[in-house]
Amino acid sequence: MKKGLFVCILAVLLFVVMPAFAGGTEEAAGGEVTITWPTHWVGEQGTGPIVEKMVSEFNEANAGEIKVVLEAHPEADAAEEVIRTRLAARQTPDFFLFKLGPSTRGYYDSNLLLDLTDELKKDGWGASFNPGALGVSTINGKVKSLPMENALTPVWYNKSLFDKAGVAEFPKDMNAFWAAAEKLKAIGVVPTSQMTGGANAWTSMLWFTHFLGSYGGPNAWELGWDDPAFEKAAAIMKRLYTDGNTTLDAIGAGPGESSAHYMNERTAMFINGPWFVANIRQNAPAVYKETVLTSAPAAGDYSGHQVGWLLTSAAAANTDDPARKAAVLDFFRYITSPESSKRRSIETGSLIPVQFEINPEDNIDPLQQQFIQAGNNATFLIDGIEAVMPVNVVQEFGQALSSMVLQDLSPKEFIELMKAAGN
Amino acid sequence: MKQKKRKQKNLIWIIIFILPVLILLTTFFVYPLISLVVTSLTEWDGISPMKFVGLRNYSDLFSNPIFRLSIKNNLIWAASAAFLQVPLALLIALVLRRKPAGWKFFRSAFFLPNIISLVALAMLWRAIYNPYYGILNGLLNVLGMEHLARHWLGELNTVLPSLIVSYQIYVGYFVIILFAGSLSISDTLYEASVIDGANVLQQELYITLPAMRGFIISSETLAVAFALRQFETTFLMTAGGPANATSVMALFMQKRLAAFQNGMAAATGVLLVILGIFVMKGLQTLFGMRSDAVEDAQQ
Repeated sequence: MKKGLFVCILAVLLFVVMPAFAGGTEEAAGGEVTITWPTHWVGEQGTGPIVEKMVSEFNEANAGEIKVVLEAHPEADAAEEVIRTRLAARQTPDFFLFKLGPSTRGYYDSNLLLDLTDELKKDGWGASFNPGALGVSTINGKVKSLPMENALTPVWYNKSLFDKAGVAEFPKDMNAFWAAAEKLKAIGVVPTSQMTGGANAWTSMLWFTHFLGSYGGPNAWELGWDDPAFEKAAAIMKRLYTDGNTTLDAIGAGPGESSAHYMNERTAMFINGPWFVANIRQNAPAVYKETVLTSAPAAGDYSGHQVGWLLTSAAAANTDDPARKAAVLDFFRYITSPESSKRRSIETGSLIPVQFEINPEDNIDPLQQQFIQAGNNATFLIDGIEAVMPVNVVQEFGQALSSMVLQDLSPKEFIELMKAAGN
Repeated sequence: MKQKKRKQKNLIWIIIFILPVLILLTTFFVYPLISLVVTSLTEWDGISPMKFVGLRNYSDLFSNPIFRLSIKNNLIWAASAAFLQVPLALLIALVLRRKPAGWKFFRSAFFLPNIISLVALAMLWRAIYNPYYGILNGLLNVLGMEHLARHWLGELNTVLPSLIVSYQIYVGYFVIILFAGSLSISDTLYEASVIDGANVLQQELYITLPAMRGFIISSETLAVAFALRQFETTFLMTAGGPANATSVMALFMQKRLAAFQNGMAAATGVLLVILGIFVMKGLQTLFGMRSDAVEDAQQ
């Protein structure tokens, strides 16, 4: 009987205690430090292949000492959520990417991120970054994240479709824009790709920001939602969603649908950043060759500007373990080095805020060259909504936009919805 | 003395067997629930220290039209589960019980979606509803009903019904429960009813349904519980849009979490639990369910 009781107690204890041993931190054997990097920079397209290659090379060069393990989260929004959840649980990933914005600046206030301020002063590491981007990453004199990727999001248009429609050059103002849209529709082409889905209604949010910049100038976001510039930009968005100026599925569409319409030549205009170069080159080579980048037509007093901001930052977990800290810093230096940045940039088309030399023999993608040119030619840059607004406002953009279109709300009512989201 | 000792021994065994459940229940339900209630009274971004704000999150929620719409949508989902999904499952189960040709195949076919990835099914339904290449609009065109073709997930009056219709693919789960229940009814009852001159409809109404009452109530309870925690289908197919028309409480909560509004997300969670209790109570009243009704019926 006593034996039975003992077995039962043991079973209960095992049952209760066993889960505590499930999972846990991966300890590398033989003093090797393992750095886990949960990321959406994986897979066969975009940034995935080059990052996987670089990580593999790093692991080979540091065999037995440091091992970087990529934890794949193919979807960017899902990857962001994983990071956020782990930070809230005080389980900071060893290395991770995030979007530095009003909602994530709070990461800096915590003791969760590795402070890189002093490290950047060593060996000219800090000097290799674009000063503007590094400035954005500096909060209260501290640098706890490093800029990995800039967003520059010009208007993409299909020159061949424009030619077919009899539109000789990209419209410079809105009258010419609407006239060009009619000509495109006449040959059965939908003028623009739009979307209200995804985490931020990406493509439409960028169209809106272009027009906002045209009405409000470089500091448009600082004017506040009550400024007429916002209402006027919203009015253009409403028209873009009606009269066949966008696809039937734009309401509710995500980035996949929005970009697919452009790549299938169903639409003639689209907006996205340089990271999409590798995708279109691979999946729609004909459209890739016909794509020309430009600034949006002038709607207000300002023109020739672009929407651009620091899109992706990298940070590492704070640690008291000197070996781990050294390993993380080694990887940080490697992945942000001018050489790695150049490789990543050439391979993917991304604009990386690290200074590196481009040589004539470097095979720079023609579309990427257009991006560089668009950035250089821009009269000014205006931030994307993610860089200036908290997440709850960003989330509401697509919903408010679809409300304006489906419920026939006025642009003023759209602005009220956006203001309510921020309260 | 002997009896007292035996009682003590029994008590030890009772404790030993209850302990794991008690520990699990406390760890995975009671503690999180208390933590949820405490968090709901704070303003917390998940990183900075919590700030106590009393009931402010609750008052903010009730003044938020999207939250009110989410409650309404949750109730619509619950009603659809109770009055559409389970009755449909019951109908299928009753037909299968008659063992028509191919009934084994259909039994498996109805259950199949329950073992397929939810994401894959959501993508499939998005494709079915696509205004350009979707099979639904294609079918309407073939049938000469082009005027009915539309952007099913992009219009305010069709989006929620479209989601609910797509969710009926999981009907097989309840078909299996109800079919299993129907098999427990003795054939002698049916044989006696035939002698009494009962037709098929009378047999189902007066023998099958009363005998399956417990299974039906269990299915209704489960279906409504699943509907109240509705998230995946909505998140994957519309993300609550367009114009927040398909927002549900769990999705609203997820968005608040994504926006670093953990306090408000927790308050939404608390209200979702309360709503669940009310709806379940309402369901009990609706079915005139005594606490032991299910057990009785199953016996």
